Amino acid sequence: MSKKTRRENAILASPMVLFLLAILGFPTVLSIVYGFSETSFETLTRPEFSGLANFADVLSDPTFWQAAWFSLRFGLITALLQCALGLALAVYLAPLVERHGWTVAVLIIPIMVAPAMMGLMYRLVLHEFAGPLPHYLYAWFGTAPSFLGPAHVFKTVVLAETLQWTPFAFVLFLTAYQAIPSELREAAAVDSARPWDVFRHIEWPLMRPTLYVALFVRFIDGFRVFDNIYTLVGAGPGGSTTSMSIYIYESFLRRGEIGKAMAAAILLFLTAFLLLAFGQRLTKGRTE
Amino acid sequence: MAPRWMVFSIAALVMNFPVIATLVTAFKSPGEVSRNPSLWIEAPTLENFVTVLTISDRLNIYHYLWNSTVAALIGAVLPMIVAFPLAWVIARRGVGRAVLFPLVVNLRALPLIIFAIPLYMMYSVAGLLDTRLGLGLILAVVNLPLALMLLVNAVADIPTEIEESAQIDGAPLGRLLWHVVLPLCRPAMVTTFVFGFITAWNEFLFGLMLTTREAVPMTVGASFFFATSGGGVQWGVAAAVMVVAALPPLVLGLVMYRRITGSMVAGAVKG
Repeated sequence: MSKKTRRENAILASPMVLFLLAILGFPTVLSIVYGFSETSFETLTRPEFSGLANFADVLSDPTFWQAAWFSLRFGLITALLQCALGLALAVYLAPLVERHGWTVAVLIIPIMVAPAMMGLMYRLVLHEFAGPLPHYLYAWFGTAPSFLGPAHVFKTVVLAETLQWTPFAFVLFLTAYQAIPSELREAAAVDSARPWDVFRHIEWPLMRPTLYVALFVRFIDGFRVFDNIYTLVGAGPGGSTTSMSIYIYESFLRRGEIGKAMAAAILLFLTAFLLLAFGQRLTKGRTE
Repeated sequence: MAPRWMVFSIAALVMNFPVIATLVTAFKSPGEVSRNPSLWIEAPTLENFVTVLTISDRLNIYHYLWNSTVAALIGAVLPMIVAFPLAWVIARRGVGRAVLFPLVVNLRALPLIIFAIPLYMMYSVAGLLDTRLGLGLILAVVNLPLALMLLVNAVADIPTEIEESAQIDGAPLGRLLWHVVLPLCRPAMVTTFVFGFITAWNEFLFGLMLTTREAVPMTVGASFFFATSGGGVQWGVAAAVMVVAALPPLVLGLVMYRRITGSMVAGAVKG
């Protein structure tokens, strides 16, 4: 590589590098400093080194483990539900979509609504007196569950997340389905194979790599959930819907435990990093 | 086809139920909201929208809309500016493929809260707390991964012959990028912008943490209408606010839905 080329490369890469350093590099240093220090909002500029005290604090906090368990469960369940529903819808509706492309637009409306806004909308939908859902349940079945009560709140937030993001999985599977060469299906039709066999032996093997990608992407999003749960129920009854993100937010702004929040954020980062490395290995191994 | 239409209708109705219910409620009078929670409107009225759009000091929706517009524009355009030159280097010279590209792309999978707290501290020192610029800058980070992925793909798709013939003419690199490569990347640029604008507009966590008064975006502002101050939530008004707040990304997304679905696939698969 000539000197000129090298200089050109450096100049062209510099906007990105400088931007990353400025907006993420400095905060990263800060979070490491504060993660290992004793600080409050009053002593913000004078952090005192405290070693691993914050990490010990976090790891011995039962609420933290409850939040970790919530995020893991929430991520797994919502990812599985979205992929199952999305796959079924994509395969079944593909012939319809092929002739009427606009149907996709109708189905992906939820994706374009802010998750925070979706959480607020569910507050209306599920409201005891003003909400249409309890109204119809009462009218038809004479009873309606308390959606946001301790007994049902987990199911409710899982349902809200699933219904908003199933369209995402749907689009991924639909694209994979449409990419299957039509000769394959035609050949199967000549052999008068049944639809289920066509799916199992031809379409499914070709769509399986998409399943891993979709599961992974949806799991990551569920794992880090904040907006919709926060606007719908906050930390939930008895902290039952406290995700990792909500836990860190509450430690920081509600309780002012800066060092602890930072330590939890660092732990969350390491967890996400490991999951990412694992997920990429998984999807790479399967698609290649 | 009939059973497929059936399934489509049910899926559309269930998944869009909150949106439909909100839209219906927004057109009910306050009296009707408390009397009739069904999806049927007895006497449609624009009363709630008038209330929302008539400026009040405490909850000024125009202020929120303006904040969101400015922050989302910064958040959508800035990633394109910093990603485009790098995308060319990566696609054409393979430089940055080992470290920089995966670093940026993987930002997408990190929980945003990790950045929010240190940024809060940095912003409070730098005077960026509660500013539209500060909010826009971090929204730009959120949009970086997709911008870089889409632009690297776009540059790689340009036939090298086009660039080579321009280089034979002795055009300097800057001119080549500006006059030849950039125009050919226009479709990808539009997609990047649309997706970035919608993502930035819909973001909530950073707005919640990094703004308090002056730069509060629409998503956070909408939640203020749900804060019960004595008399309980005015559902009709709250619903009208949400309709207004959700409209910009929804209209943009529906007009461009083919690009949206395309970039979702690109973003998910290349990660």
